[in-house]
Amino acid sequence: MSTTIKIRGLNQYYGKKQALKDVNLTIETGMFGLLGRNGAGKTTLMKVLATLLPKSEGQVSVCGKNIARAQEIRRITGYLPQEFSMYPNMSVYEAMDYLGVLSGLSRPQRKERIPELLKRVNLQYDKRKKVKALSGGMKRRLGIAQAILHDPKVLIVDEPTAGLDPEERVRFRNLLCEIAEERIVILSTHIVGDIEATCENIAVLDAGEIIYTGTVSELTRMAEGRVFQTEISKKELEELKKQCIVTSMLTLGNNVMVRFLAEEKPFAGAKSCEAGVEDAYMYLMQERGGEDVCSYSSL
Amino acid sequence: MFIQLFIKECRQTAKSLIYWLIVLVLIFDYASQLGSTEIMPEPKKGQKEYGYKQSEDKNIIMKMTLGQLLEEYYRENYSTYPIGFYKNVTLDEKEDERIGEIIEETTGISGRAAAEKAVSDWYAGQERTGGENGGMMIMRNMEAEPAAGLTYERFEELMDEADDILGGGSSYGESCRGGNASVPMTYEDAMEEYRELTVKDHLTGGYARLFSDYMVVFLGILPVFLAVTRGLRDKRAGMQELIYTRRCSSAVIILSRYLAMLVMLVVPVLVISVLPLSHCLKYASAAGIQADAFAYVKYTFGWLLPTIMIVTSVGMVLTELTDTALAVLVQGAWWFVSVFAGVGSLSGGMYGWNLVPRHNTELNWSVYHENFTQLAANRILYAVLAVILAVFTAFIYSQRRKGRYRFTWKGIGRSKKQI
Repeated sequence: MSTTIKIRGLNQYYGKKQALKDVNLTIETGMFGLLGRNGAGKTTLMKVLATLLPKSEGQVSVCGKNIARAQEIRRITGYLPQEFSMYPNMSVYEAMDYLGVLSGLSRPQRKERIPELLKRVNLQYDKRKKVKALSGGMKRRLGIAQAILHDPKVLIVDEPTAGLDPEERVRFRNLLCEIAEERIVILSTHIVGDIEATCENIAVLDAGEIIYTGTVSELTRMAEGRVFQTEISKKELEELKKQCIVTSMLTLGNNVMVRFLAEEKPFAGAKSCEAGVEDAYMYLMQERGGEDVCSYSSL
Repeated sequence: MFIQLFIKECRQTAKSLIYWLIVLVLIFDYASQLGSTEIMPEPKKGQKEYGYKQSEDKNIIMKMTLGQLLEEYYRENYSTYPIGFYKNVTLDEKEDERIGEIIEETTGISGRAAAEKAVSDWYAGQERTGGENGGMMIMRNMEAEPAAGLTYERFEELMDEADDILGGGSSYGESCRGGNASVPMTYEDAMEEYRELTVKDHLTGGYARLFSDYMVVFLGILPVFLAVTRGLRDKRAGMQELIYTRRCSSAVIILSRYLAMLVMLVVPVLVISVLPLSHCLKYASAAGIQADAFAYVKYTFGWLLPTIMIVTSVGMVLTELTDTALAVLVQGAWWFVSVFAGVGSLSGGMYGWNLVPRHNTELNWSVYHENFTQLAANRILYAVLAVILAVFTAFIYSQRRKGRYRFTWKGIGRSKKQI
């Protein structure tokens, strides 16, 4: 069985509104990042792949199986939704056991697999804890554990790091990378840092369209020679913002250390610097959306 | 998978607060209505009284109905049950005048003063009789002699009018008039009734029916709360998508939940029934009656289970369809109408298609027996309908899993929110 997701000419409508426009993607084993602003259509695409939404038009196959065969797709996919939660009064073990039954695991399989997974996500000492007593990070880790409970070939993870503290975020990213060694993991997010830290292959979605697909390094190369840094006064900052996309700022007394995008060196004091994924993403969005990008200057 | 899921659903139900509230209500229902029930003893010749029975004699019906109307007219106060609950009615001058005219036409007694005299004379006569006999005095309901030439048809016409004036639900309406004519039973009548209870009904049959009568009233509404809270629990807990993306089929998920709720509702009923059953068996053993030890089980499954099934199904299907607690409103309305409809036939026999068939007595076996076919048809209909609704719920659930159905108040269709 192939471990590839193939999406060809996927269109998705909500009434008259088109949420996905002619999406074409091929996703292979490993981490795959789906980047885009809020409302870009990432969740819609995730839901189509998780069989939670029927596709309106196009062809989608997961590991060689047509997406329309929902029951078969559900056997080989795991899903961690954007707003993950479980029955609050169940213990961690009970919740896993319940979902294990729904995944068709026998009692011996569950007895073996659940402790193993809880250990993997570092929740082995919390198995008797009620779900409602878990912290945000613990809940997310439990979310991953439940999603790979039936050892799926594809793991779909929608905005998993939102609301996590930096330490939990790093732990979570590492966990996803470990899991991706043996399966496809699709990570949907609007946080560029998550993609940068975990994915080699990505797609950028905007207003329902794929505007970039390729490797992270290729995306980064798009911004090479267009990223500059300079120290300017706060007064000059306002002027710079009107002309360029400012990607980061650091206040230094009365001055500000600014990182910005420009087609060429705008003034003598600006120093060219190495482009990062965030710079490249901002550049891509600028190319596509013009003024819209300004709203992302705080990313 | 089904059995394991069924067990898990039973555990979930057992941990829900609403379930234990339902159990408490059922216990309260039993304790308050049947907790102090005494088993009917065998009638002995020479007893002071053997109880009362309803008469079908038209003259007696007229006498006793008119007696009651006369007494209420004199007191200027009428008791009615317009929607199944007690209501005290006082009439305005015009209505009071019309009731006076009806009384005059049906009894020849004209005006309130004459009515007062008739009532006082009746009770004075009762006191005299009681005094002569000595001991405890038993007051018989007021009777009034129908006027000469009053036909039963005209009597019915006028009583219908009186019932309308009183706003319905009075003792004079068509469905209640027969109940006014209660006459003392003879020893033979009482023995016949006792034989029916102990021989034909094996004692436990009659009491199991009475038990079912009280239980069915509450089971006509309570299961909907369990079904609605179970349906909404997934939504509240944010579990819907986690469950939807599992390989388990919708039929297994919904039917295991359904079966778990039915079992968890039937179990407390069976446990509660052990109390009256043991009481009956003890009495039967002492009196040499051949009791049916499985009567309560039979009635629980035959009489109560179809109601539990349909109410639970309605709760499940409407919750899956709307993702709201709408089922409570719908079932509440159905229950209300059913309970009200059963008020006029408490002593059994008129089971019809009522969701909560009533038989509020351990007696009347013959009436039960005569109408058993109708009752069986009623129960089978609801059981079949319940299964159809449960299967339909599984279908709706499967469509929702695929994102093909989502309820919105603006119209049924796909959600426009989840971009």
